[in-house]
Amino acid sequence: MRSFGIALLLLWTTATAIALADCKVHRGDHVVLYSTADDPSVLIWDSRARLRAYHAASFDEAQAMLPHAILVAPGTRAIVISCVAGYIESPLVAAPDDAIGITISSGPQRGVTRWALGSDVRSAPPDHR
Amino acid sequence: MKNEPLANLTATLLLTAFLVVTLGFAIEGTFETRAQIASTFARQAQIQQAQLDLEELLRLQIDEENSLRGYVLTRDPFYVAQFRQAAAGYDAKEKTIQKILSEEHLSDPGQLLGAYGYLQSKWRDEVAHPLLRNPRRPLVEFDKRNKLFSDYETRTVASIRETLAGTDAGLARSTQIQLDRSSYMRAFWVLVFGLLAILFNAFRSRLNRELEHERTITEILQRAFRSESVPLPHCEVGSAYLSATSHLAVGGDVFDVFRLSANRALVLIADVSGKGVDAAVLTAFIKFMIRAIALRQSEPAAILSEFNSAFSKAVGNPYLFVSMFVGVLDTTTFRLEYGSAGHDCAYLRRRADVEQLAVTGPVLGVMEEPFYSKTIDLDPGDMLVLATDGLTEVRNRDGKPLLGGGAMQLIARGAAHAQQLADELAAQVRERGGSRVHDDLAILAIRMMDMESARA
Repeated sequence: MRSFGIALLLLWTTATAIALADCKVHRGDHVVLYSTADDPSVLIWDSRARLRAYHAASFDEAQAMLPHAILVAPGTRAIVISCVAGYIESPLVAAPDDAIGITISSGPQRGVTRWALGSDVRSAPPDHR
Repeated sequence: MKNEPLANLTATLLLTAFLVVTLGFAIEGTFETRAQIASTFARQAQIQQAQLDLEELLRLQIDEENSLRGYVLTRDPFYVAQFRQAAAGYDAKEKTIQKILSEEHLSDPGQLLGAYGYLQSKWRDEVAHPLLRNPRRPLVEFDKRNKLFSDYETRTVASIRETLAGTDAGLARSTQIQLDRSSYMRAFWVLVFGLLAILFNAFRSRLNRELEHERTITEILQRAFRSESVPLPHCEVGSAYLSATSHLAVGGDVFDVFRLSANRALVLIADVSGKGVDAAVLTAFIKFMIRAIALRQSEPAAILSEFNSAFSKAVGNPYLFVSMFVGVLDTTTFRLEYGSAGHDCAYLRRRADVEQLAVTGPVLGVMEEPFYSKTIDLDPGDMLVLATDGLTEVRNRDGKPLLGGGAMQLIARGAAHAQQLADELAAQVRERGGSRVHDDLAILAIRMMDMESARA
């Protein structure tokens, strides 16, 4: 039973290590939110599953999910609390993107914890930390 | 050996045909490749235009959004006008891109563009128009929905952009392949053409060497058998001989002046049909045979008759014949007895007048027909001018032959002395032919001198 527990722990550690290794940001990193879409605001979601569903959904389905999202202004700062590499897939985008768990550290939503798309998150320069 | 010229001609024609066909293929291939590349370039230009239009479409979409934001923030109607202008521009641009995609049969980007247009229209209905009607609506809701549209439109446009870039790259690759293929094909045809040209040149050189060799032999034979101007009592003798420029045209013209006795001389000029060594050898046969006959037979008609019989038996070639003028001239009385076997280039100049001496029988070697002789009494100062058809058939640059009339005019206004006249006629032929002599030419001129002048 003890061996099984150790094996599980090792498996979880390895999986987490692989997931973290592929992410461009890591737990504790200070980041800035900024979208590369025409509208640079960023939608952040209450769960990573919802984030993934939003990107895979049709327009009408995505519209129905909007109440679960908060729109934050571009330049909002946050701290990374987790990252799942390649979790987000979209039929219109070739490469999968990361799902990044963040806690907002500036603006009206300060202290809120949500999920953001990897390409909407950038490492903050030192003076932003 | 008889068929060698025909084989050479066939080989030359075949090689020429190969060269022409090769050149034709090379030219046709070049034009085909050019057309293919032009078509690919045109398609590429269309795709690139679609890419540019797509970026312009995005700009118009952002203009629409910004105009809407401007109106919501300021309530200035200027922004409404801006919004409508951008919306109209967006719709027109979308149609333009859709037309290009349809012409290029790009269905996937076409569908994506359709979806993009649908989103934009939905955005206008659900976001823009409600806000234009009531700009006091809460902006937070507007921003969220706007972000949703923006995300979808960005992704759709990215996908269209990617597809167009892929198509553009594919066309560029296709152009490169066509250019490579064209280069290889051109190199191949140049190689084939070059090899054929080398082969052709080698063959031609060999042929020229053979012809040159034959010409040399022919000329040596002609020189060996040609008579020099033999002095005759009371007469002035002049002669000229021109060999044809073309190797193939060197043939069998012969003239002879031979003293049969103290006051009788044999005068001969003949033209053998056919060219080359065979014809040149025949001239020797003719010259010495006529001399031999003339020593036995005194009448030109008898000489021609006997020669005709011997020639037909000896040669036995129905396609070979000879035109000949044989005269026996008494150098004391200036009585000329002659026979002309189909040889019409014989003239008599008396003072300013020139007359053509009549033909008295058919050409030799064709049929057993009787030959006749004619007698003319010449006077001192008269000039007998005998030539071969190289004189009458010489053509000017317009292709017009001199003919008998032209020859008689030249003789009439020619020099008084026999050798000078012969040289003048030869020079006229060379000049008229543009420095090229197309056929052999033999000229023999004999001027009767009065006794006083002859003694002087």
